[in-house]
Amino acid sequence: MTHHATLPMPGPGQWAAGDAPPPDAGRQDDGHGGPLPRLMPARPAPAGLTEHLTRFGAPPYRGAPRRLIGDVEAAGLTGRGGAAFPTHRKLAAMAGRGPAPVVIGNGAEGEPASSKDKSLLWYSPHLVLDGLQLAAEAVGSATIGLYIHRNPRLYERLEAAIAERAAAGLDAARVELIEAPHRFLAGEESALAGRISGGPALPRFKPPRASQRGVAGRRTLVQNVETLAHLALIARYGPGWFRSAGTPDEPGSMLATLHQADGRMGVVETALGTPIAELLRLPAPAVLVGGYHGAWLPGAQAELLPLTNAALRPLGAAVGAGVLAALPGDRCGLAETARVVRYLALESAGQCGPCFNGLPRIAGALAELAGPWPRPQVQADLQRWSGLVAGRGACHHPDGTVRLVRSALQVFAAEIGHHAHGSCTGTTSRPFLPLPAEPPLDDTDWE
Amino acid sequence: MNAITGSTALWYASRATGVVSLLLLSLVVMLGILVNRQGRLPGLPSFAVTGLHRSLSLLSVLFIGVHVATAVIDPYVSIRLAAVVIPFVSAYEPFWLGLGAVALDLVAALILTSLARAYMSRRTWRGIHWLAYAAWPVALVHGIGSSPDLRGGGLLLVAIGSALAVAVAGLWRVAAAAREVPRAERAAHTMAGVQRQVHRARAGHGGAR
Repeated sequence: MTHHATLPMPGPGQWAAGDAPPPDAGRQDDGHGGPLPRLMPARPAPAGLTEHLTRFGAPPYRGAPRRLIGDVEAAGLTGRGGAAFPTHRKLAAMAGRGPAPVVIGNGAEGEPASSKDKSLLWYSPHLVLDGLQLAAEAVGSATIGLYIHRNPRLYERLEAAIAERAAAGLDAARVELIEAPHRFLAGEESALAGRISGGPALPRFKPPRASQRGVAGRRTLVQNVETLAHLALIARYGPGWFRSAGTPDEPGSMLATLHQADGRMGVVETALGTPIAELLRLPAPAVLVGGYHGAWLPGAQAELLPLTNAALRPLGAAVGAGVLAALPGDRCGLAETARVVRYLALESAGQCGPCFNGLPRIAGALAELAGPWPRPQVQADLQRWSGLVAGRGACHHPDGTVRLVRSALQVFAAEIGHHAHGSCTGTTSRPFLPLPAEPPLDDTDWE
Repeated sequence: MNAITGSTALWYASRATGVVSLLLLSLVVMLGILVNRQGRLPGLPSFAVTGLHRSLSLLSVLFIGVHVATAVIDPYVSIRLAAVVIPFVSAYEPFWLGLGAVALDLVAALILTSLARAYMSRRTWRGIHWLAYAAWPVALVHGIGSSPDLRGGGLLLVAIGSALAVAVAGLWRVAAAAREVPRAERAAHTMAGVQRQVHRARAGHGGAR
């Protein structure tokens, strides 16, 4: 439980941890397509099965595998777990020749700054469960699992929802709940497959990918829970409806976790292409886009950008799993980044040398850079080490961490100059970006 | 009779390439032992050790190829093609040549699986790669057994030196494994070391602050 102590499960009447969304974001028709929210219930209270069936009706099964895939392709749905991979391609690969795959909904967001998957599972569990059933039908599978971080309240709610659906005869196959350890990397696809197979949740070298040999050695389709919820709506309302929000290249809506500079935090549903300035209260000195494997952008630049990969990728950033954070003016961006990178380094699975040797070195150098009078060679060391660890792990943990570090060195270049002279523009050292308590250090933590 | 003539060239070539193959394989095994995780050679980053391991193993394939081909072609003793790959069926020195065939098969398995590594799981590849620890001693015994060359003089020293070097590398590896930090503590272990280093370096830098 310690891992997400900073992000308790939202209670009734709340959208997310302790705060309502900002009035200018999320829940109304925002001019970028159909009325939002699509995924979240109309009123901010968890949707039970009756309410779900009243609003959406029963899941529209197609009666045979493959039939849904064309709609998903036409809708242009991409994975909402962060990688934005086209969903129909994963489905089509699984629906092809070969033994029936395992289908897993991935709700284990390890990112401490993100709580959109937890919120979705809490508020709209039946939409995710519909999506799991429909995806399983599309690939001809009857083995379905839902992978979530250890959380007794959420587990009970989902267990009750699954039982309720079974009683109503809604599901073709029963969904098994599997708990993930509270580790940053536990939701990584190969770690997920390892955990569900009964082993530790550790990333593996690829190949084989989970799609080739995943859970218990079987082909495994892993989809983020938000992706599955979108799929459940595409099955009902069609690709045209889905595309009525978002941009032509990046259609649909997405859930985003917003961290405002005043410390308020909330999960909102927004159309892709919404200006970042409509989501965050700006100006701010800098904006973190895409979470802790994401990138910092200068506030003035972020203010002009829409939330699309097309706009962000040229700047080395990405939408990712939809984390946006506006750095408060009284905090030092270097100190914030150093705290986060230290956390990321300690979350290394300890499997790959470049990661467990390199990331602590990078974290140490960044901590020095975040303090007064760092030694002059520290910045060059950081650049060199960043180059040495990128692309050299079983998973993308080193790459994502280096992306954050490099963006911080660029965006906070002026701040580095201040620190070189012993001063700092931050006036408070109170932490801003959420981090769990110190990770426990024990090999059993991965189970 | 000791001069290299048309009739003895193949025989000499086979013996010479055999010795070079043994040396190369010994180096490859040592690098393979060192390359595992924390292995370092002075002045070489670990990926260079990996690169050297790979290049030398491909080079040894070349020498083993010539060694085997010249031995088969050489009319002095007749070795059937089947005896090259099937152990212990040779009419000439069936046991010692049989060991050579075993070593050849093992090395072939190692090389082919490494070339096709992208197409198999890491676990399978690793399991097969452990055969290297069997291939090398078999090759050494094959060399000592089938040729009197390695049993005396300078070449005996080469054989003993190779065996010692590989044994030392192996012992180092076992000792390193005993010192190994558990997986979950590795990053924190490095972090603590880094903090001590930074602290010392800053103090040496003139006590900044």
